[in-house]
Amino acid sequence: MRYPAMLLLFSLVAALFPAGLPPARAGESPRPVAFSPPADREIPAGPFGDLVRKGEKIFTQTGKYAGKYVGNDLTCESCHLDRGRKPYAAPLWGAYVSYPRFRSKNMKVSRLGERIQGCFRFSMNGTAPPLEGDTIRSIVAYSFWMAKGAPVGTPLEGTGILRMAPPAHIPDPARGRKVYEARCALCHSADGLGTSSGGEVGFPPVWGPRSYNRGAGLAKVAKLAGFIKMNMPLSRGDTLSNRDAWDVAAYVDSQPRPADPRKKS
Amino acid sequence: MSRTSPSFRFLPLSLFLLFFPLQSWAGELENLGKRIAQEGNGSPGSIACMECHRLHGGGMPLIGSPRIAGQPQRYIEHEILGVRAGTRYAPIMAGVVSNLSRKEIRAVASWYAIVRTPKLPDVSPPDPTLLTLGKRIARKGMWRKNVPACVLCHGADGRGIPPHFPYIKGQNKGYLLRQLIAFAFLKRSDDPQGLMRGIARRLSPMERQAVAEYFSSLTPPPADGLPDPKQ
Repeated sequence: MRYPAMLLLFSLVAALFPAGLPPARAGESPRPVAFSPPADREIPAGPFGDLVRKGEKIFTQTGKYAGKYVGNDLTCESCHLDRGRKPYAAPLWGAYVSYPRFRSKNMKVSRLGERIQGCFRFSMNGTAPPLEGDTIRSIVAYSFWMAKGAPVGTPLEGTGILRMAPPAHIPDPARGRKVYEARCALCHSADGLGTSSGGEVGFPPVWGPRSYNRGAGLAKVAKLAGFIKMNMPLSRGDTLSNRDAWDVAAYVDSQPRPADPRKKS
Repeated sequence: MSRTSPSFRFLPLSLFLLFFPLQSWAGELENLGKRIAQEGNGSPGSIACMECHRLHGGGMPLIGSPRIAGQPQRYIEHEILGVRAGTRYAPIMAGVVSNLSRKEIRAVASWYAIVRTPKLPDVSPPDPTLLTLGKRIARKGMWRKNVPACVLCHGADGRGIPPHFPYIKGQNKGYLLRQLIAFAFLKRSDDPQGLMRGIARRLSPMERQAVAEYFSSLTPPPADGLPDPKQ
């Protein structure tokens, strides 16, 4: 029997680190530290401040300020809540200090600008803006400003999206549909296509032709579950059970959406 | 098959819509609703909606009776039912709507959903010392208190996202403030998933006031894309 030995080893390790979290060691990622981004009034005057403000505009009204790169009804802020500031909604301050970074998505070390290009291609179902162009430059400047004072290369609390512990069951889209109808359809509508307001997008579509494509991060059930768990419904994040978050994510990602542009049909 | 170009084919319809007053093409349900709004439903002692909301839904800022012109029909219906069921605290209106049938409620909601009326003067001009704060909460939120921007759910500038989220721009300030307080202190619990209860509770009294000042300072929307008979 191998298991008792493993259990013994595990309890030994647990006894060595009574706080629950092992302290950081060389070669391991250190414990996440808390960070809050600066207030809006700290955006400086002058050309750099202008670029930051432009980045914020592109971020919150992407269709209006970077429309030619956008292929759906989403904005950056649809996922990166509170103008890219909210912890666990992939905040820009967390992203800024995490790049360059190796990504298994394309097996490359990417710079932040390249990562943002990916957002446009997949989450916005559009095309990548040029790296040296205004769009990427201003979003990078906005991110840099927001990360002011953050330690570089150290994980910050709330960076990225919550990594859910593996589910205790196989996520069930049929059950997820019930959760969706009870908790999500109010805003995103039962058909998932969002809700319009005076001819403009009110609540963003979560599937269908105007939503993110299959290559987007949120098209992966685990990521979507983590996003939903911490952020949805707006103002009531962390009220769905883990099971509900997994199931509703499985349901949403089982619905039709644009194809992954990397895959030729 | 007619060979007229599409724009000409729709010309008679456009002219019709342009020159006929709204009421003339309002359906049967809306006309029933209008009658109830004007006279009550005929049961003894029934009170007409217009005594507080006016016939065209302008409300009465002086007593904090809300403007309801052009709110989504489903929303109005939902609120009347909430008042009746007691999930929405409104002691006066509860008596008024208690004898309305389900069909009459739908009719009244349909009437007020299609009428349009200009904004009425509010009890006082917007408080300039609170407008900046109000605008900030409205458009950016106060996420450190887990309060999202109001416009995320109530639409750009608060013009509403039908059918569940009412417009709040151009609403009178007394009503807005009273509802925020009612949500915060559990006198109104008809909001889906308790969203407004949570948000209103997390705002301070000054922040609630500021939000009311800001949205009441705006112009109400011509909702639902229907032609506005006044313009």
